[in-house]
Amino acid sequence: MLIYIIRRVLIFIPMLLVISFLVYGALELTPGDAVSALINPEVSGRLTEAQFNELREAYGLNKSFLARYGIWLANVFQGNFGHSLAGGVPISTIFLDRLPATLELSVVALLFSTIMGCILGTFSALKRGSIADSSLTVVGMLGVSIPEFFFGLVALLIFALNLGWLPVGGRLLPGYDSIWDRAPHIIMPAMVLSLMMTAGVMRYARSSMLDALSKEFIKTARSKGLPEWRINLMHGFRVALTPVVVLIGFRLPLLIGGSVIIEQVFQWPGIGNAFIAAVRGSDYPLVMMIALFSVFSVLLASLVIDVLTALIDPRVRLN
Amino acid sequence: MVSRSLNKKFDKILAREEAGNLTSKTGNRSLRKMMNNRLAVVGLILFSIILFTAVFAPLITSADPMKINLRNMSQPPSWEHWFGTDKTGRDVLARVLYGGRVSILVGLGSGIISAIIGVLIGAYTGYKGGWLDVIALRVSELFMSFPQIILVLLLVSIIGQSLINLMIIFVLTGWGGMYRMARARMLSLREEEYVQALQSFGLSTPVICYKHILPNALGPIMVNITLSTAAFILAEAGLSFLGLGVPAHIPTWGNILNVAQEIRVLQNYWWMWLPVGAIISLFVLSVNFIGDGLRDATDPSQQG
Repeated sequence: MLIYIIRRVLIFIPMLLVISFLVYGALELTPGDAVSALINPEVSGRLTEAQFNELREAYGLNKSFLARYGIWLANVFQGNFGHSLAGGVPISTIFLDRLPATLELSVVALLFSTIMGCILGTFSALKRGSIADSSLTVVGMLGVSIPEFFFGLVALLIFALNLGWLPVGGRLLPGYDSIWDRAPHIIMPAMVLSLMMTAGVMRYARSSMLDALSKEFIKTARSKGLPEWRINLMHGFRVALTPVVVLIGFRLPLLIGGSVIIEQVFQWPGIGNAFIAAVRGSDYPLVMMIALFSVFSVLLASLVIDVLTALIDPRVRLN
Repeated sequence: MVSRSLNKKFDKILAREEAGNLTSKTGNRSLRKMMNNRLAVVGLILFSIILFTAVFAPLITSADPMKINLRNMSQPPSWEHWFGTDKTGRDVLARVLYGGRVSILVGLGSGIISAIIGVLIGAYTGYKGGWLDVIALRVSELFMSFPQIILVLLLVSIIGQSLINLMIIFVLTGWGGMYRMARARMLSLREEEYVQALQSFGLSTPVICYKHILPNALGPIMVNITLSTAAFILAEAGLSFLGLGVPAHIPTWGNILNVAQEIRVLQNYWWMWLPVGAIISLFVLSVNFIGDGLRDATDPSQQG
């Protein structure tokens, strides 16, 4: 087991290094002075040429490309991600500001879509071939076909503008941060985001459940005379759940990508919103760091999932 | 007794075969299965309708999608303008039809090109193995470790916005999935006996892998093309909606939806964004139905 984990980590680290190298290369190629990527541009604007060169010397910017990459990497490891070109805010501050909002949205959406998807998918598999099953299939198809932002716009029109039940956007007003002030803001973006994902989880849960129900141990359970609900829940569902949970683990980091557009529709102050603003404003340091961060979380999640599946399923380890 | 009745059966089949009834019917089993799938047929019909209205847009509307008419701003749907007019007086129906051309071109075009690239690389390296295979696999992993929208936006910010750039970006981010699929199929197919026979005949590697093995993987490839087309159309709509996709002066489905970012438009001028959103959804839905039908029809484990 330990060997497996070590081997898996040994794949993870070079991958991350290669991507960080590419990101740094892209950062060097994009317009903007290298000094301004490291220090506050408001300060750097007031510097003379001689001071600039001194700074370059101090930061090691007149060294070779590889050495500069090394310094940058060391900085990133210490949590110094550089500064945004817009306003010179440290990128780490932006992360600290924005990440909780994105995580909050993602976790709520993930929980809701997982529960709904599993229930609907299992139901659909148990009633295979019925009208309920085929209509759920069509609804699931609709769920993956409607652009999520369009769905968001329709929800916005109905629930915020016409009915006035929910706020149009944003997260919370300053000074109001009890759960009752928060809840109305998160309902719509989280529901829109999760309804889209529910469709995917549902399809996956359905096929996983059908697969589990066709196994021999179900026949054994039935021949023991167990009640049907017990067979379905204790034997079928439990086995069907494992691949679904793995799928959901993979989705968690993807949510950072998946919520980009929804955050924009509902003006949710998360990482995605900051990313769009950075792309629009050609704020390359911020764009690159958010991209790097999202890759890091994807790779980390897949590492954790691989180790977890290896713990659950000994066949994986032996390969 | 049994053998006689069996003989009778075979005689009947033989007679039908000689009359040519059987061959015509078995002509294309996949197609027949596809036509039996009701959702797939609905999808095919919807797809064709939207495609034809986009291709033959000038026959359906005489309005110019680019022509600004300031005396006719923000008009609700009327007999003259079925979908109304937008904030600068342009006919929304004409914009939806002409916009469909670009959106479908981007979606289908990037879907097909990324499939060709992915399959060419995946089939060859999967069959051949060795260091080429390792490099291709690592490169695809590199691309696939980014969440897709993040990678797309990252590339947009680096190489800039244009129609061609957007397609290049889609192909760059989309070839990986197809490559993986083609490679996996190759890994299992290359162990088949007929491949060994071909090798012993001394056929060259490209001939074996592209001419003899690849057709056996055609089903999943077609399914993958439809699914990635659907995804690219959604991606184009999303990016253009944000104003980061196709440049704003070209009408596309996403660019038409762009106006809905304004709360005033969202609330008061539903005809500017609701119909086009519905059409995108219907089109993507039809493509997904076709993809699902294709999957069922070409999957050899499902007989019919």
